[in-house]
Amino acid sequence: MTLKTLKIEAEKAIKKAGDLKSLNDAFKKYLGKKGELTQILRSLEKMPKAKRVKVGREANMLKNSLRIKFDQKAGEFKEKAQREASDSEWIDVTAPGRRPILGHLHPLTQARRKTEEIFQAMGFSVVSGPEMETEWYNFDALNIPKDHPARDLWDTFYLKNKMLLRTHTTPVDVRYMEKKNPPLKIITIDRCFRHEATDASHETNFYQIDGLMVDRDISVANFKAMIQEFFQRFFEKPVKIRMRPGFFPFTEPSFEVDMVCLVCGGKGCSACQQTGWMEMLGAGMMHPNVFKNAGLNPKNWQGWVLAWGLTGWP
Amino acid sequence: MVFSYNWLKDYVGRLPEPEKTAELLTMHSFEVGEVKKTGADYALDIDVLPNRGPDCFSHFGIAREIAAITNSKLRPINIKQAVDAKIQTKDFVTVEVKDKKACPRYTAKVVADVKVGPSPKWLKDRLRVCGLNSINNIVDIANYVMLETGQPLHAFDGQKLAGNRIVVRFARNREKIVTLDEQKFDLDSSVLVIADAEKPVAIAGIKGGKLPEIDKKTKVVVLEAANFDGRVIRQGSKKLNLKTDASLRFEHGLDPNLTEMAVIRTAQLIQKIAGGKIARGSVDIYPKKVYPKRVKLDQKYLTSLLGKKILPKEINNILKRLGFVVRGSLVTVPTFRQDIFLPEDLIEEVVRIYGYDKIPSVFPIVSLAPSRRNLDIFWENKTKDIMKEFGFTEAYNYSFVSQGSDSAIELENPMSQEHKYLRENLISNLKKNVKFNKNNFKDIRLFEIGKVFSRPAVEESRLAGINLLGSFYDIKGIVEGLLNKLGISDIKYIENGRQSASVEVGQEKIGVIGENYFELNFDKVKKLASEEVLYRPISRYPSAVRDLAILVPRQTKVVQVLNKINIAGGKLVRDVDLFDIYQGEELPQGKKNLAFHIVYQSETRTLKSKEVDEIHQKIIKTLEKESTWQVRK
Repeated sequence: MTLKTLKIEAEKAIKKAGDLKSLNDAFKKYLGKKGELTQILRSLEKMPKAKRVKVGREANMLKNSLRIKFDQKAGEFKEKAQREASDSEWIDVTAPGRRPILGHLHPLTQARRKTEEIFQAMGFSVVSGPEMETEWYNFDALNIPKDHPARDLWDTFYLKNKMLLRTHTTPVDVRYMEKKNPPLKIITIDRCFRHEATDASHETNFYQIDGLMVDRDISVANFKAMIQEFFQRFFEKPVKIRMRPGFFPFTEPSFEVDMVCLVCGGKGCSACQQTGWMEMLGAGMMHPNVFKNAGLNPKNWQGWVLAWGLTGWP
Repeated sequence: MVFSYNWLKDYVGRLPEPEKTAELLTMHSFEVGEVKKTGADYALDIDVLPNRGPDCFSHFGIAREIAAITNSKLRPINIKQAVDAKIQTKDFVTVEVKDKKACPRYTAKVVADVKVGPSPKWLKDRLRVCGLNSINNIVDIANYVMLETGQPLHAFDGQKLAGNRIVVRFARNREKIVTLDEQKFDLDSSVLVIADAEKPVAIAGIKGGKLPEIDKKTKVVVLEAANFDGRVIRQGSKKLNLKTDASLRFEHGLDPNLTEMAVIRTAQLIQKIAGGKIARGSVDIYPKKVYPKRVKLDQKYLTSLLGKKILPKEINNILKRLGFVVRGSLVTVPTFRQDIFLPEDLIEEVVRIYGYDKIPSVFPIVSLAPSRRNLDIFWENKTKDIMKEFGFTEAYNYSFVSQGSDSAIELENPMSQEHKYLRENLISNLKKNVKFNKNNFKDIRLFEIGKVFSRPAVEESRLAGINLLGSFYDIKGIVEGLLNKLGISDIKYIENGRQSASVEVGQEKIGVIGENYFELNFDKVKKLASEEVLYRPISRYPSAVRDLAILVPRQTKVVQVLNKINIAGGKLVRDVDLFDIYQGEELPQGKKNLAFHIVYQSETRTLKSKEVDEIHQKIIKTLEKESTWQVRK
């Protein structure tokens, strides 16, 4: 093969090569160890000198020019491959991410934890008691005698085993005072039951918070300070409260606590029924009869009790 | 209870504007709901506290409160009467009280020659504001005096009472009565009645009978103002399922000393409005007179309980305004205040009139005792967080279910048949939740911690979870992961029917796993849980892994194979990890393939390849001793 035809063929092969592999094959065919041009160069030494110089120069020129062409073409292929690779790695960062499957805690649990946390920070222990109660702990011990109209305030589920479903968590106070001597600071947040039709603010199963603080000379003034502190921590802003008379058989004096409506700030709105106040909880000073029923001498101890339904607040 | 603003004006010297009156009552006595303009009057909806029924289910009682709050004059009710000296009450009627406990006082008075007719407009108006309909002048006056004084009254036609007799007794079984509003009631011995010589003529303290009804022809009115035992009236009212304005007042208790004044007031108004002559005297059966109590009030205790010193002069002044008589530290309690027994009761009277707003906020000075850690709550919180991390969402279900086993506790008074029993497990309600939500969500994972109940009176805390798309192994993985995080070890899973296992720790069953749910006794879990965590350093020497596949009968349990591997391998077997269970058509029938990674590692040296191979061969040999097992090579 003459150098001339070799040049034409080789250049054609380079032009024809569709990818890096076929280009490499072509390279091997002409410039590889056993390539056609390589063979021509190797055959030079057997040629007569004059021909050797001429053919040698032409062959080397062809080799260099083919090399440049191969490299150029290879560069094109590599560039293209790189471009394609980066194309496949490209992502749309605005497309949504894939999220892990998330579990959730019930909002009641969250409110419960927040309440417990604040009271615990004030030195209160969280305690609990049974949901299925006796009449004694649910009523009699709390100064609510049988056949007394006061019992009507607590619509009660009675059970066929002569027990009842506790209507409030206050029985836990009596159970606790029977076991532990004051001073004591406890709260209970647990399930209670009322036999009443369900609507937005009533449930047959609900959660009540009961708090109790007993010491030698705990007063109404102490209650006022502590409940205000609690509200401010719970709602995370300054709040205004007021106390007005109430009635609970197990407290004397008894009071209701209202807070300035968080929605309207006291101007009156639909959330507070235009009163500017929200009813927050019932409370009072523990009745001496309850201390007696729990085995404590009422002459020695004073304390406040409070209770509210966990779902009742804004 | 609804009160007329104009009516209150009769007694209170300077009654503030309706809105102001409502606000004062709310802050010092009782919450006032609505103030509604009604004609020329205002209706105040006052939520009288239940212990104040005896004195405040009446306009005069509310007026006394307002007068005490505003420190203004209280005008008494006029009870001057012009009696006709020629006639005497006892000539018209005789009264016998059979049960003096059920009826501590019975007062009767007669007005003769009345003219029954419609009531005057002012009377009708006042009753209407308070929500009562006008009947005739006699009945209206009786109702009016009840609203005024709190004492229920009843008027009989004296000429319709057989034998001119009134007998207060319990009904006889099978006695019947038709009430004024034509309702028929079957009575029994739990119901107290007013009878004439023959039959019941009224249900005592609840409602009058049709027979001696006041009508247009009535000439002689026998007025009854009685005091009945609250429990007896409550019992009768419940028995007959009949509540009235009268029964409400008796149930809350009344001052027995109120009857006489109320009956005179009624007679006086009847004479004024319906004419007639007031008979002299009254028939008054009042064997055990009630006298005022005395309660000692200790100033120091008052200061300590309120956390505020109130001047003795101020205290005495407040108590006097409310009708108490104060002499030194002794306070005489008027008989209309049936709610006052103790010094604490008096302290409440003082502080509410004084004003809770004047009590300062003072933090207590107490010993610094750290709060006790409640492990129950600690483990409950931790468990909830773990379940949440596992992708489960917390549910709070009702404690009630529609069906129960033999050991279920049944409710006496369920709200509905759907809620007839206390739940015996948590999973049935969770399954319902899943069923209910299936159409809206594909992947549902729920858990709940709550109480379950069984006879005779067992209450147990449980934890249950369900995973709609999960398999037995997914659920088992949750239980394993949870117990591991709670530091519970030595757990066994015992086959317990189809796709179901019981979970045991030590020798104790703590729960079950089903095809896509689990339920554990959470009381037991909390007891077993431990915060101790064992940390073991990672070995500094490399580990070697060899895989092992074994063909075993389908019934062979993984744990059997694992045990053999561990025993044969000894302590250089650091971990055995089952990575595949396969049972497919290509395998011989009734067989399954188990594939394990066995990790060999020493904590003290680098294991040689030869050493590892030797142990691995020993394991294979041990496994192949089982004739039905075949290690695949």
